[in-house]
Amino acid sequence: MSASTDRRWLRDVIGIALIIAAGLAGYWLFPDNLALLTRVIAAALLVLSIDLITGYCGVATLGQASLFGAGAYAAGIACVNGITEPVTLILIGAVAGSVAGLLMGTIMLRAHGLAQLVLSIAIVQLFHEAANKASAYTGGSDGLAGLMVSPLFGMFAFDLWGRTAYLFGLALLVLVFIILKFVVSSPFGMLCRGIKQDPIRIRAMGSFVFPVLLKMFVISGAVAGMGGALAAISTQVVGLDSVSFELSANALVMLVLGGLGSLYGALVGTVIFMGFEHFVSAINPFHWMTMVGALLIAVVLAAPGGLSGLLDRFSASGHRAKRGKA
Amino acid sequence: MRISKRILGVALGALLAGSVSASAETIKIGIIGPFSGPFALQGKNFQAGVEAYMALNGKSVKGNDIEVIYRDLPAANPAQSRALAQELVVKEKVQYLGGVYFTPDAMAITPLLAQANTPLVIFNAATSAIMNTSPLVVRTSFTTAQTTTPLGKVAVDEGVKKVITIVSDYGPGVDAENAFKKAFEAAGGQVVESIRMPMNTNDFSPIMQRVRDSGAAGLFAFLPSGPPTLGFAKAYNETGLKKAGIKFYAPGDLTQESDLPALGDAADGLKTSFHYAVSHDSPENKKFVEAATKAIGSAEQLSFPSVGAYDGMHVIYKMIEATGGKQDAQKAVDAVKGLSWTSPRGPVSIEPATRHITQNIYLREVAKGADGKSINKEIQTFPNQKDPGLATQ
Amino acid sequence: MQTVLSIAIDAFAYGMALFIICIGLSLTMGLMRVVNLAHGAFAMIAGYIASYAARDLGLGYAVAIFLAIIGTVIISIPIERLLYRRIYGSPELTQVLMTIGITFCVIGITNYFFGPTLKTIPLPGSLSQPIDVGFKTIAAHRLFVMACGLVVAGGLWFLIEKTDFGIKLRATVDNAAMADALGVRTQVVYAISFAIAIGLAALGGVVGAEFLPIEPYYALRYMVTFLVVVSVGGAGSIPGAVVACLLLGAVDTTGRYLMPEFGNFFFYAAVIAIVCVFPRGFFGRAQ
Repeated sequence: MSASTDRRWLRDVIGIALIIAAGLAGYWLFPDNLALLTRVIAAALLVLSIDLITGYCGVATLGQASLFGAGAYAAGIACVNGITEPVTLILIGAVAGSVAGLLMGTIMLRAHGLAQLVLSIAIVQLFHEAANKASAYTGGSDGLAGLMVSPLFGMFAFDLWGRTAYLFGLALLVLVFIILKFVVSSPFGMLCRGIKQDPIRIRAMGSFVFPVLLKMFVISGAVAGMGGALAAISTQVVGLDSVSFELSANALVMLVLGGLGSLYGALVGTVIFMGFEHFVSAINPFHWMTMVGALLIAVVLAAPGGLSGLLDRFSASGHRAKRGKA
Repeated sequence: MRISKRILGVALGALLAGSVSASAETIKIGIIGPFSGPFALQGKNFQAGVEAYMALNGKSVKGNDIEVIYRDLPAANPAQSRALAQELVVKEKVQYLGGVYFTPDAMAITPLLAQANTPLVIFNAATSAIMNTSPLVVRTSFTTAQTTTPLGKVAVDEGVKKVITIVSDYGPGVDAENAFKKAFEAAGGQVVESIRMPMNTNDFSPIMQRVRDSGAAGLFAFLPSGPPTLGFAKAYNETGLKKAGIKFYAPGDLTQESDLPALGDAADGLKTSFHYAVSHDSPENKKFVEAATKAIGSAEQLSFPSVGAYDGMHVIYKMIEATGGKQDAQKAVDAVKGLSWTSPRGPVSIEPATRHITQNIYLREVAKGADGKSINKEIQTFPNQKDPGLATQ
Repeated sequence: MQTVLSIAIDAFAYGMALFIICIGLSLTMGLMRVVNLAHGAFAMIAGYIASYAARDLGLGYAVAIFLAIIGTVIISIPIERLLYRRIYGSPELTQVLMTIGITFCVIGITNYFFGPTLKTIPLPGSLSQPIDVGFKTIAAHRLFVMACGLVVAGGLWFLIEKTDFGIKLRATVDNAAMADALGVRTQVVYAISFAIAIGLAALGGVVGAEFLPIEPYYALRYMVTFLVVVSVGGAGSIPGAVVACLLLGAVDTTGRYLMPEFGNFFFYAAVIAIVCVFPRGFFGRAQ
């Protein structure tokens, strides 16, 4: 028992060390693409937030951008109105995201399956419409521009090269990842997974399903909201695309690509999808979409459980081989 | 695609290096536009304008070879826009940025310009306010207010006193509504009702019913160019509004040339105002259309963003001439302030104070051209129009 | 009164156009349990074929529709064999990944070969003129769309409820293994129903082109609308789809007439309200 717990601890420590190493490697290897990498980090937070409710609770959503956008606009509006300290802005984004998550969870958890998915679509469309309508605050389709974020800790400015934004984002991502690791392996996280597998049995065991899932929605909202705030800070403009169905759908695709129900899968999916998209669209800006489509099809054919599932399969077969020998 | 162009550039460079000067270097221009996705047609027009200009005016300036790098930004997405601009400036070392179809994307790039020491020449994004966000922005397209304003007087002159306005509910739509209302009321007309309809409206008959019920003698419409214009123009015909004699006014986005074959007879007689018609009758335009058609592949796809890109390249070439290939954004922008030339669209100039293009706005009517295909036939010219949106600020 | 009637008829026409396009998706999602996000892509392929046949080859409208349906079904056969077979019975999200991939590919390929311009399918003279129905003028093709919708609904109902094939199909849906054991060739049943769904997508793409114009991005642009309509109706239910299309068509049309500024609010608020009251859609089966 304790041995297996130790091993899991060790695995997580190694995993997190690997994320940090990969992040720093990105910093050294692609010093000219830091704005792209920062975008990837913001998207990774969004994808992680979907993983929490889709991968761990079994609630599929095509509307997660409403939480991301709530964070982005809250941070953006706060910044335009004089609150320019970046860490505060991230917190504002987290709060706005969790409030939106509370709202979204309350509505979405009334339904199941396909209907639930449609509710999420309807919610993100309403958020989008609301952001468009409230153009006095959000800038509408022209975008909310003119965010003057003050330097981080009063020293490091958010500039053209984007070093501050990237390292700040990376630190945020690692912090969130560690916290989420604790969340998903806590009794609460286990309960969520139980609900995903069989909500009736969980109910029979005497747990209430709705408040548990709602709590996860709030956590997920905070994560997505921080992603939105990070995007707002690093871009200095918030556009309607941050509350769009397209962003929600893209993020879900990234998650499924990487593998549901594994925090590493969310990161792998985001990096692979956005990296691939950036790569092929730079080679041929006109007809890259076919290549991305082909990638998705290829992944389904080769690794139906997502890319991280593929890794698991390899390691599992390795274990089996070892056990076979023993 | 880009790779072959680069090879071509290198080959050309090698050829020129011997003949012109030994110190010649390659100057890179980064073009950001929607080259895929729902607005791919407009991006293709950017590319056609750029290639037409380079085909007609050479691929080098003062012995410096020009290399163009395209980056795809399929829909409005400021974060991606900023990332692409950063990559172009920091990694690809471009000295000039051009393109940009949507306003928020431009807004995301402008804060970088001073630090990047790079001018941005906007080929399309049409909101007035962009120009105020950085002194290193020049625009060669138009603003919605600029193309719309003359229509107010046109309507009154045609005896239409009561108009209903119908616009898509987003930034440019609201700009168009305000600009028309202002001009129309100043000329003595009355806007009886203003409707803003959602962007994703597919069926326009209920809107047309509103027009009918409003008792207006004319309607002013703004829709972004693309698929919805088809349904809108058809609904105008099919609900009998055209037959009832209700006049139709709109900025030229609604009847862009690449949509005309699809609109067919439904568009006949629609009056629009715009800065450029592919059918514009001038030797400059003839040359441009020929070169741009070759670049884009078929004459049917040619539309207004191509001329914005063409003139944008003209401005960039002038900037390179003025700076002699040295990277100096402020000097480059200063050099084109007040620059005037004859564009395919007619005489144009860059207004020094706003860095926005001053140009003729034409009133056009959709009619059949000599070959039986629909064209925007220019019937009236409003010379030297500035951007009223900036002028009032 | 006149206005109410005229709005009602617009709403009915729009609803029927939605119905023809969406019913195929409802069948794949409800009966075959495949979340086929590439449904719009097939409708678009049909639109391109019809446009090519009618505009470039100068064939008649009816011939163009026929060719479009046949052509699209033929194109779909290898796709079904090679790709869809792999995802029958997979988790929904895997299906989403695959069908979005297919959609991206179709968009990219169409854009490459046919360019990004709008394509139209010229209507015959008899369908393109406005018809005066007393209280308003209405385009003849709208009447044609309404008729098509009714015929499709009736035909499908007959096929599923009253024919031998319908019995086999329902048996396969309820319990594929048992149906197989009883001698129903479920693979064949699946293949035929897939072909029918694609054929309906094709018909919808062509007939509905006056509402939803054909261009490369068609496949993604209207994906949300299709998905919402099908789910509100209850996947797999023909009466459900009819009710959902008519109701949402009515909400959309009246919303756009009464308060165009808030048209989208009306539409999606209605969707949320309906889903909250009928969590499985109007006539959805318990799963």
